Amino acid sequence: MRIEAKDLTFTYSKKSKAISNRALENVSLCIEEGEFFGIIGQTGSGKTTFVQHLNGLIRVQKDSGSLSVGEFDLTAKKCDLKALRSRVGMVFQYPEYQLFAETVKDDVAFGLRNFKKELSLEEEERRVKLAIETVGLNYEEIKDKSPFELSGGQKRRVAIAGVIVTEPEVLVLDEPVAGLDPVGKRDFMKLLHRLHASFVKTIILVTHDMNVVSENCTRCAIFSHGKIHSVGSPKEIFSNYEQLIELGLDIPVTAYLERELKKLGIDVDSDLTESDFADKTAKAIVGGKQ
Amino acid sequence: MALLSMEKVSFSYDKKIDAVKNVSLTVDEGEYVAIIGHNGSGKSTLAKLFNGLCKPDSGEVVVDGFSCKDKKSLFEIRKRVGVVFQNPDNQMVASIVEDDIAFGPENLGVKREEIGERIQFALASVGMEEFRKSSPARLSGGQKQRIAIAGVLAIKPKILVLDESTAMLDPQGRKEVLEVVERLNKEQKTTLINITHYMDEVVRADKVYVVNDGEIVLSGTPKEIFAKRELLEECGLELPVSSKIAQKLIELGVNLPDGILTKEQLAEELCVLKQKI
Amino acid sequence: MKDVTFGQFFPAQSFVHKLDARIKILLSIAFMVAVFMVQAFQFMGFVACLLFVLVVTALAKVPFGKVLRSIKGILFFIVFSAVLQLLFNKNGTTLWHWKFITITDKGLLNAGFIICKITLVVLGASLLTLTTSPVDIADGIESLMYPLKWIKFPVHEFALIMSIALRFIPTLLDETDRIIKAQKARGANFESGNVFKRAKALVPVLIPLLISAFRRAEELADAMDARCYSGSKNRTKYKKMRLTWRDAIATLVVGGLITGVVFLNITGFLAVVL
Repeated sequence: MRIEAKDLTFTYSKKSKAISNRALENVSLCIEEGEFFGIIGQTGSGKTTFVQHLNGLIRVQKDSGSLSVGEFDLTAKKCDLKALRSRVGMVFQYPEYQLFAETVKDDVAFGLRNFKKELSLEEEERRVKLAIETVGLNYEEIKDKSPFELSGGQKRRVAIAGVIVTEPEVLVLDEPVAGLDPVGKRDFMKLLHRLHASFVKTIILVTHDMNVVSENCTRCAIFSHGKIHSVGSPKEIFSNYEQLIELGLDIPVTAYLERELKKLGIDVDSDLTESDFADKTAKAIVGGKQ
Repeated sequence: MALLSMEKVSFSYDKKIDAVKNVSLTVDEGEYVAIIGHNGSGKSTLAKLFNGLCKPDSGEVVVDGFSCKDKKSLFEIRKRVGVVFQNPDNQMVASIVEDDIAFGPENLGVKREEIGERIQFALASVGMEEFRKSSPARLSGGQKQRIAIAGVLAIKPKILVLDESTAMLDPQGRKEVLEVVERLNKEQKTTLINITHYMDEVVRADKVYVVNDGEIVLSGTPKEIFAKRELLEECGLELPVSSKIAQKLIELGVNLPDGILTKEQLAEELCVLKQKI
Repeated sequence: MKDVTFGQFFPAQSFVHKLDARIKILLSIAFMVAVFMVQAFQFMGFVACLLFVLVVTALAKVPFGKVLRSIKGILFFIVFSAVLQLLFNKNGTTLWHWKFITITDKGLLNAGFIICKITLVVLGASLLTLTTSPVDIADGIESLMYPLKWIKFPVHEFALIMSIALRFIPTLLDETDRIIKAQKARGANFESGNVFKRAKALVPVLIPLLISAFRRAEELADAMDARCYSGSKNRTKYKKMRLTWRDAIATLVVGGLITGVVFLNITGFLAVVL
C-alpha cells in the first residue's frame, strides 16, 4: 500500500481560537510499499499527529489537504475505517498499557475478533498462535496466563502480537523501544526486520534515536514545527549536520565520525550503518598504510 | 567513613526470589556513582533500599551514621537520601510547581519563610526559576523531571539518587537532566548515584557497579567496565555505539587503543592514527 | 488533548479574580442564600440578584455567554421542576383545563419562580468556578474546613487528596485518549450499537485505565514517602492566603444585597398585613 499525503494540515481545537494549535502544516510525503521509513523530530514536532492520520484515528480536516493509503481515500467522507485499520497496524508508545483481557490469548485475539468476525475458532487459534510465536514467545506456555503477571518485556511483546495478529501490510510504530534496555532494544529491532521480511510490507518507525534510523531505515523524514524539514536516505538527511543541531536533533555516531574523518581528508562514504562504516573506515586507514 | 554503605544486603518482595542478593557497596561524599543493569536486574530495588522504602531481609544499610535497622532513623535517612523516580508524572502532588516543591520542606516542618528560600534555591539549581508558578502538566518531560529533582533538592539531601530518571525522556530531556545533576555533583559537591540502563550515561561516573540478577557482578571505573564486553553482554547490556564501532575497527585491524567510550574520543584516536600514517 | 482545561475556569486579570478564594466561596454561598430568601412572588428580589450577577460578570471580564452556558447543562432539570409546578399546583384560579391537566395562575407563577431561583443559583456558582482556578478553590475549601480539625476531621488528608486529584486529572485524560486510540487501532468500536454493546466496548479502555491508575498511585506513594511524608504531624504549610481591601468591598456589596432582599421581604410582608 502506497501512502501519499498532499498538503496535509491539522489544527487541534480548531473551533476555539484561544487554544487552537496547528500541529501539521502542508505536509506532503510519499511512502512507497516496502520501505522501512523513519520519522524523526523533537517532541511536539507533529510526527505523532501525522502517523495517527494514517489509520484514521485522526481524520483529515476539511479543506486541509489530502491523504490516501493504498486504495483508501482518507479525505473522502465515507472511508471504510475498519478495513483500513485491519491493514494498517499501529503500535503506540508503551503498548503494554493497552492490555486488558483475562488471558494472553484473548488479548491477542481482540483485534482479530473485531476485524474478522467470520473466522472459525481453529483459524483464530492458528493466527493467535502464529502472532505470539512471531514475537518470540512460547504459545503453549503463555496463552492462558493473565497478561498482567508477565514481565515488562513480555507484556510489550504480547501487545505487539495483538497488533500484528491481523497481518497488517503497513505497521506504524510510535517510539516502540522507549524504556527498553539495550538488549531488549536490539531484540526488538530484530523482530521488526523479521516482520518486514514476512507479511509486513511497509514499516513506519517514529523514533528519537538517530542511530536506530541510520542502522535500519531505507528513508526518513524530519518533522519540525508541524512541517517536513527534509526527506531522504539517512545518508542525505544526516549530511546536514548544522541544520539538525539547530533543530535540536542529534546525528548518528557514524555520521559524526564520517564528518570528523572528512576533516582529516579521509572520505569514508559509507551508508552510515555501523558495519559498512567500520569496513570502509578500516579499508581507508589500514589500506592506506599498506 | 563512607557516606552510604551497604553491607551484605539481601531483599525479596515475595520471600521467594531475592530481588537483591548479598550486595555490598560504598558511596563516598561527593562521589558520582553509576549503577547499571538491564530491566528487572534489581537495580531499582537498590534505590528503595538506599532510602528505606524497602527494608533489607538481611544485612545493613548505613547512611551518614544512621542505620536502617533502627526504626527511628528512617526519617533521618530519607532526609539525607533524595530519590528521583522514573515517571515524572507520578511523583508530583500539586498542580503548581512551587506548591509541589514545597511538599518536602513542609513535611519536614520547615518554617514558611525558609520554604520560600528553598524553592528559590532548588529551582535555580535546576535552571527552572521562570516556571515557579507554572502548571507541571504543560512542561516537557525533561522539564518535569527537573522539577522533580528540584522537589528533592528542597529537602537538602546529601545524596541524590536517580532511579532510571531518564528512561522515559527523549534525547533532549535526557541531556537536560544529566547536565543538571552532573553540574550539581561538580559545583555543589552533591553526592550522585545514577541508576540506569543507558551505557553512555555512565561514561563520566567515578565508579560503576554492574548489577545482574540482584547481584553486583562487576565494579570499577567506566574504562575498566567497558573493557569487559562479553560479561556486559551476558548481563543484558551493550556497549555504547562508539565503543562498539571502535571494537569493530580493532577487529578489522585498525590499531586503536582499548576503552574508547565516546564518539569524541573515537574521532580523536582516529585523528592520531591518521597523523601516524 | 494536552491542553485540556477541565472545569470552566476563565483566566483573566480582574477585581473578581483577585478576590481571596475563601471569601469568594463564602460570598457565593451567601448569594445563594439571598436567592433562596426571596419570598414568593417578590420578583423585585430576583431583579436585584440578576443585576448583581450582571455587574459581577462585567467586573470579572468574563463573556456573559460563558456564564449562560452553565445553565445549558441543567436545563432539563430546570424545565422538569417548572413543569412539575405547572401540573401539580392546583391552588389559585384555573386558567386552562384539559382532561386531567389543570393549569392555575399560582402554578404558572410558581413555575416562573422556580426557574428564576435555580437559574440564579447556578449563575452564582458558575461565577465562582469561572473566576477561581480549581487549585484555589481546593485551597479555599481546605482553609475554610480548618475549624473541623476540632472534631477530628482529617482536614489535611482531605486537602491532599483534593490536590492530588486535581493534579492527576489532565494526566489521566491524556492516558484515556491514548488507550482509546490504541484500542480503536485494534478495531474497537465505541460509536455504534445499543447501550449495552457500547458499555461492553468500554471494558478494554476502563481496565487498562484502572490498572494504570493503581500503578501511578503506588509510584506516587513511594515518591511521597521518599520526600519524607509522614502524615500531618509537625507539618508546616507554605501557601498562605491574605485578605485585602477587595475582599472587604465584596463582602459589603453582598451584605448589601442580602439586606436589600430582606428589606423587600419585610415590606412585602407589611403590605400584605396592613
